Amino acid sequence: MSAFDSPEQRAASGTGYFASLSRWNIFEILFWLALAGLYFWPHADLVLMSQIFIWGLFAMSLDVLLGYRGIPSLGHAAFFGIGAYVAGYCGKFGWTEPISALVLAMLVAAGVGWLTGKLVQRVAGVALLMVTLGLNLILYDLVHRSTEITGGDDGLQGIVIDPVLGLFRFDIFGRTAFWYALIVTFVLFVATRAIIKSPFGLALTGARENSRRMIMLGAPVEGDVSRAFALAAALAGAAGALLTQTTQFVAPSSLSFQRSADVLVILIIGGAGRLYGGFIGALIFLFLRDWLAAISPVYWYFWIGLLLVLVVSFFRKGILPTIEDFYTRWRGRRGAP
Amino acid sequence: MTAVLTVLFNGIAYGFLLFIMSVGLSVTLGMMNFVNLAQASFSMFGGYVMIMAMQWFGIPFLLTLPLVFIAIGLLSVIMERLVFRHFYNTDDLTQVLLTIGLVFMSIATATYFWGGTYQRIDMPPWLIGQREIFGLTLETYRIFLIAIGLAMALALILGLERTRFGAMVRACVDNRRVAGACGLNTGLIFALTFAVGGGLAGLGGALSANLLGLDPNFPLRYLVYLLIIVSVGGMGTISGTLIAGIALGVADVMGKYYFPQFGGFVIYVLTVLCMLWRPQGLMGRKA
Amino acid sequence: MRIVCSALAATALTLAGFAAQAQETVKIGILQSFSGITSLGGQQADGAVKLFMKKYGDTAGGKKIELIRRDTTGPNPEVAKRLVQEVVTRERVNLLIGPDYTPNTLAAAPILMEAKVPSFVTGAATTGIIGEKSKYSTRTFFAVPQLCRPLAAYAVKNGWKRVYVAVADFAPGHDCEKYFLDALKEANGELAGNVRIPVSNPEFSGYMQRIRDAKADAVFIFMPIGELSIGILRAINDSGLKSTGIKIMGTGDITDETYIDAVGDAAIGTITTGIYSTQHNSPLNKEFVKEWAELNGKQRIGWGALAVYDSMRLTYDALNAQGSGKFDPDKFISFVHGRTFESPRGPVTIDKSNGDIIQNIYIRRVDKVDGVLQNVEIESFSNVGFK
Repeated sequence: MSAFDSPEQRAASGTGYFASLSRWNIFEILFWLALAGLYFWPHADLVLMSQIFIWGLFAMSLDVLLGYRGIPSLGHAAFFGIGAYVAGYCGKFGWTEPISALVLAMLVAAGVGWLTGKLVQRVAGVALLMVTLGLNLILYDLVHRSTEITGGDDGLQGIVIDPVLGLFRFDIFGRTAFWYALIVTFVLFVATRAIIKSPFGLALTGARENSRRMIMLGAPVEGDVSRAFALAAALAGAAGALLTQTTQFVAPSSLSFQRSADVLVILIIGGAGRLYGGFIGALIFLFLRDWLAAISPVYWYFWIGLLLVLVVSFFRKGILPTIEDFYTRWRGRRGAP
Repeated sequence: MTAVLTVLFNGIAYGFLLFIMSVGLSVTLGMMNFVNLAQASFSMFGGYVMIMAMQWFGIPFLLTLPLVFIAIGLLSVIMERLVFRHFYNTDDLTQVLLTIGLVFMSIATATYFWGGTYQRIDMPPWLIGQREIFGLTLETYRIFLIAIGLAMALALILGLERTRFGAMVRACVDNRRVAGACGLNTGLIFALTFAVGGGLAGLGGALSANLLGLDPNFPLRYLVYLLIIVSVGGMGTISGTLIAGIALGVADVMGKYYFPQFGGFVIYVLTVLCMLWRPQGLMGRKA
Repeated sequence: MRIVCSALAATALTLAGFAAQAQETVKIGILQSFSGITSLGGQQADGAVKLFMKKYGDTAGGKKIELIRRDTTGPNPEVAKRLVQEVVTRERVNLLIGPDYTPNTLAAAPILMEAKVPSFVTGAATTGIIGEKSKYSTRTFFAVPQLCRPLAAYAVKNGWKRVYVAVADFAPGHDCEKYFLDALKEANGELAGNVRIPVSNPEFSGYMQRIRDAKADAVFIFMPIGELSIGILRAINDSGLKSTGIKIMGTGDITDETYIDAVGDAAIGTITTGIYSTQHNSPLNKEFVKEWAELNGKQRIGWGALAVYDSMRLTYDALNAQGSGKFDPDKFISFVHGRTFESPRGPVTIDKSNGDIIQNIYIRRVDKVDGVLQNVEIESFSNVGFK
């Protein structure tokens, strides 16, 4: 349920409630059409766009964990990297069909995610942050040093990715990469949206707000943590696999702490708990980073830092929630239609 | 046998270095519940102030230390008044984002003023080299670090946990409104605590520059270590930070000596295990 | 009247258009790291390009040279690949200087191969990057074996038979270790011990003690420039290991001119292999160093600068040889591969069959020359191949 729903929708109850939740509103439809339309923008950097979709998907995966279940993670890139490397190994050892490799990457990442959830069930707050951080750093260290198996910094060599559906080769202009990333992201978004708006999704939000109450209501709060982790990991793994498949390359940077920190920043800028926040954050952060790095290469860090400080100061809950609140107040002033 | 003892000593010295670098964060995070990642930037600026004082003004190393403490303490009070105090009541992630932004800005600022390369650091002759103590050859600078670290730890433990000022700080943190109602000037107390935390961070930077090197990327390189020491020790407890620092420092150095194939692993594995076993940290109070 | 005016205007515009077309341009993409921690590499590249173009002008072979600069932001293959795609498909560059770093170069290779864009490898030393997979690439940097093998024989020759090997624990380190260990065995040296040091490592004392325990005659080091190279040299000095008389050897990364001042006097006496030193005693180099100082001031000259400078040299020579007509990548490569020329570092040959570099390798020792730390050449090996 978002601030864009009308009061009547909110008032609906029972099964109508869930049905009303999952109705698409005009802004959502326009958003996805606009993304697709970017393809036709003159001089569009299609590769940059495809990477924005991938980051958006990745940020959305963290949103499931952080925004909806309230579990902060400083090591989310681990799942991204696992998905990326699974797709990489598939491409290297003959499993070159992309879509099935993507699904495999998601399953492996989900498995690891589920186990992680089980491990950190009883932990919260700072301890949770440090455990996720520690596990990420350990995984990165292992991958980085095992140059015989992973190629280390040089990356995994010899990755071959077949054309999508046997028809669309990954070309140097990034056309296939654009559509492949967008369509996969959209499909996974729709699935996640349905899950979030289902009873399971509400249980997650409930556990975030007041887990004791949820336990009293009989909700399987602890088991849900593992399930949330599995879902978030699957989505992150998909994003990682997308990156490997669209660039035909995978390196340890796909599971670095830098990446974990970046995705957290992107999500918080865009606004957690809205599913779209990750995409907004990715759009803003990546476009700005590209633009700033071009006009001021040595000192662009300063402007990025300033951007963060400004966003935090004026868009306290993130850009999307602030815009939503603004919109709600504006509609309220106009009076409901 | 001498090898083992030397390695142990080096580990303890490294532990004290970690303590000195992290204690500022422990103070602001633990006492004030404010996640200030920019402490790492304060450390970096502390290092730069020390180098400027030594290279441009010829001030001897020991004298630069109180200078650094005051300078960075002032810087952090200014930041507190201008920026941080507006965010006291926001959630942790907002504070993380804010202070990370400040860290990025500080990196670019340092690059602008001092260039992107590593600084040349020359310690005074009495601190270079090694000394023979009980038949062991020990690095003089490390002996110095341990001595200063002990002094700092004692001063802080007595100062914050035993004096009236310490009690006032804890009162303000526990319940600001009531503390204010009791007549405490909460704004002043917070500002002073920030000054101490910042000054300590600056001092940490100045003292560690010789062993760790100083360049504009210093904050990002060591942020992870700061977080690890503070959380493993238990936030806000000076003794916890000290114990965590020494424990992890010794584990790291001994690990590298005995099991080099596990290298930098050891610190991370210990952190994960500790957080799973005792989430509040070694000396932390259970929430 | 209006018709005449518009006709005149149309003619003028058309003529101007023709005039613009007549002066053809050659677009060179410069993909280096200009930001953040790695910005020194980009500064070096900028300095080299500026110096070259100041000396030799901005046209070659009758065509104007246009530079397209992009920031790889460090070893970041995802960004580098995207930038290469951008400059190749949208900016339509004719050739590329960079990208720097091995992962970036590897990620970019397939695109350059498909688009037939010649590129210069200015910042990656791994052996696998040049060859059949990238026949449009030329390396002006160095290849790992060139720097990692010679010190083994040199040590044994000088009577330092027991060598301890300490490399950074990542791909380039493992590569270097392999070549050195092979060379040590060939030279009948003795391996006193071997350790791989983690890349994110602020503390060396454990490793220093291990080296001490091994009682080696010399220690061979490979560390990437930066925190590790500075840290290890200072640690060897501070821990007292240096005063035991152990010889400190390594690849020239640890005494790179751009970072050596931060090491300080602890670096004095370190023996390294290198491809270039500002102290190289040739008239061409003396002139180069002088001109660099005039244009770029106190900025020191590292190997990256030389690699970029020589890439410009090869480019201009190839364009001049090609003369008028559209830029032809195959003709460019057949000129460059097999070419020999004199660089400020010494004689350089680009191998005809695969584009890798054959150059002199120098053994240098760090000394203080006029109060400044320099790598002084004490021996040289001519025309060392890349295998």
